[in-house]
Amino acid sequence: MSAPALTVTVDGASVEVPAGATVLDAARAAGRWVPTLCFDARQAPFGACRACLVGVEGAAAPLPACTTPCRDGMAIDTEDAAGRRVAHAVVELVLSELPRAPAPHTELAQVARRLGVGEPRWPGETHAPAPPDVRHPYLAFQHELCISCGRCVRACDELQGTFALTATGRGFGANVAAGLDAGFRDSACVACGACADTCPTDAITEVSLLP
Amino acid sequence: MSRNLVELVRRHHAFDAPTALDVLKDAVERRGELTDEDRREAARRSGLPEAAVHGVSTFYDDLLTPRGARHLRVCTGTACFAATGDAHVDALRDGLGLQLGERAADGSVSLAETVCLGFCHSAPAVRDGDTVDAGPGVVERALAGACVAAAEPAWSSTLAEPVLTRPGDWSGLRRVREEGVTPEALLEAVTAAEIRGRGGAGFPAGVKWGFARAAAGEEKFVVANGDEGDPGSYIDKHLMERNTALLLEGMALAAHAVGASHGFVLVRSEYPRSRPALEAAAEAARAAGWLGERFDVTVIEGAGSYVVGEETALLACLEGLRGTVSARPPFPAQEGLYGRPTVVNNVETLCNVPFVAVHGADAYRALSPDAPTAGSKLVCFNERFARPGVYEVPFGVSTRWLCEELAGGLRDGRSIKGVQIGGPLGGILPAERLDTAFDFDALAAEGCMLGHGGILAFDDATSMRDVARHLLRFGAHESCGKCFPCRIGLQRAHGLFAADAPIDRARLEQLLETLELGSLCAHGGGMPAPIRSLLRWWPEELGLAA
Repeated sequence: MSAPALTVTVDGASVEVPAGATVLDAARAAGRWVPTLCFDARQAPFGACRACLVGVEGAAAPLPACTTPCRDGMAIDTEDAAGRRVAHAVVELVLSELPRAPAPHTELAQVARRLGVGEPRWPGETHAPAPPDVRHPYLAFQHELCISCGRCVRACDELQGTFALTATGRGFGANVAAGLDAGFRDSACVACGACADTCPTDAITEVSLLP
Repeated sequence: MSRNLVELVRRHHAFDAPTALDVLKDAVERRGELTDEDRREAARRSGLPEAAVHGVSTFYDDLLTPRGARHLRVCTGTACFAATGDAHVDALRDGLGLQLGERAADGSVSLAETVCLGFCHSAPAVRDGDTVDAGPGVVERALAGACVAAAEPAWSSTLAEPVLTRPGDWSGLRRVREEGVTPEALLEAVTAAEIRGRGGAGFPAGVKWGFARAAAGEEKFVVANGDEGDPGSYIDKHLMERNTALLLEGMALAAHAVGASHGFVLVRSEYPRSRPALEAAAEAARAAGWLGERFDVTVIEGAGSYVVGEETALLACLEGLRGTVSARPPFPAQEGLYGRPTVVNNVETLCNVPFVAVHGADAYRALSPDAPTAGSKLVCFNERFARPGVYEVPFGVSTRWLCEELAGGLRDGRSIKGVQIGGPLGGILPAERLDTAFDFDALAAEGCMLGHGGILAFDDATSMRDVARHLLRFGAHESCGKCFPCRIGLQRAHGLFAADAPIDRARLEQLLETLELGSLCAHGGGMPAPIRSLLRWWPEELGLAA
């Protein structure tokens, strides 16, 4: 027997969600947009990017929509001013770690456009520019575009069960690697492409065989 | 943290497989650096995928710096900074002709930084192998290869009936066994005693235990968080090395109350004396029948990461995985070590439990009659003070009394400019606010926190812009790299203070808000607190743009 559904309010509109739903699930069920970078509905919520901060009635500060469970009667404000300020600042910070702007079609570029984030104003270190790693016939790495959202690592773990990818480093030096960091080819990778499919920046892409 | 990896680790642990981190640490100890063959070996023996092992090997400080025949680690903690302004670091670097993280070409010697060695009472400190030397002349001795073990700090109690400085004698567990105190009754006593967590957050221990007790599952664990990473604090070090039986008794009592079968202590690798002390005490407790079949304890050493003091990161480290923070829920009390219900308590928190088991909740609450908080607190002071050491005090005394009477004020005629209490995530109290009561709420009202209870004075010669740069360098270096505000924001905040340019205050405040509201854990969320104190009390020293 399934648990009873919950009723929550999203931006004034009432919506019913199943027990165990997150605030992000509720917002999406209500047709409201919440910015996300590390979220992929096929994977367990990760809570890393902090772009999805929303207002919740009674909470002292905005909460991450992707990892906050709904409570019955919860009132959610997807355009909470403080939450949006943080989302804007986070996207600007993320853009500032890349040595070049992400391609316009990428999820990161789309979120930045929708939030109105332009050129990052943070000087300082970026990921070291490096040529793409194209040793594998089907998958290419561009480590300089990695934003450590963990989606590729989780795709390989949770969707494919191959465990060919890992987060590496720590702090600002964080990135991803396949196997012992010798590229996809010398790893357990089975070339399923789940990592490239979920990557929000083109740090991992499929190598097209078409001209 | 990946549930699949955690389950993988659990299954291998059930067959006594070492963790990947164990194998990697061992390889570094033996040969001074890691090779891919070591990583493959760690994957084979631990059962972890090669990529995951690679991830672990790039996370912990202890695995990252190559070691020479002699491996020197210079403490860059805040007490050492307050003592020398980092002159000891420069002197070692120059004397050895090595940068931090480098090994001499002939492999004879290597230099790494470490935060913090817990000898804040006689800073600066340098570690040569497993010998920690500290105090005047330490750099010269380190350069001459003549380090000697520094003296441990003095300790005393101001309480007639000490809780934490009373040597552990197992009288609490004896009473539980002889009088047949039920788990429910013990849990009720600890809840009624209102023991607040001593590791920083102040969460009531009884409530945490109640969650773990109520959680479904046959197998449960108790974990003592001995990752006392807060620079300037050597309280848990003192307890783990010099009142070890009290900690083990507290763990056994916690296990009785929540129904746990096994316990783990995670000790910092920066404290080379802690693990041997705990293992010897555990062996003695087994021989005396206090530990053994019903409940036993395993001691595990970390590998150099501040954020591993956060409870979800701590559990990941115990599992031999990358010590990154996980979003909660699930809370460890429901889904902790190896996915099992787990109580994670700070070392000092657990050391309060034997007193409650012997004397009851009322006696415990009566220890601090002038304060809202029950029990007593260990505090410690840095080398700037005339009488640094570990002291047991009641809550609610004035911070001025602690600094000026108990620790004797600063030595050499210097005066206090400000004190940072409770670690790097705590605010800084200026000298004119020292009358603030030493307790959770009173300090919070000043933008400070009780935290671990370390009291670290900056003297009148200290540049507060240097303090900001020092703290943010630490913050950025120790970010686990998981959440974006902390990973990038602390790097940018450090960049603001490391550059020679004036700082745009509005831009800094926006960054602080992003860190406070956005960070996944208290590391990114707390690093703004001391910066806000500096902005409030010493704005003219920070080099803000006009």
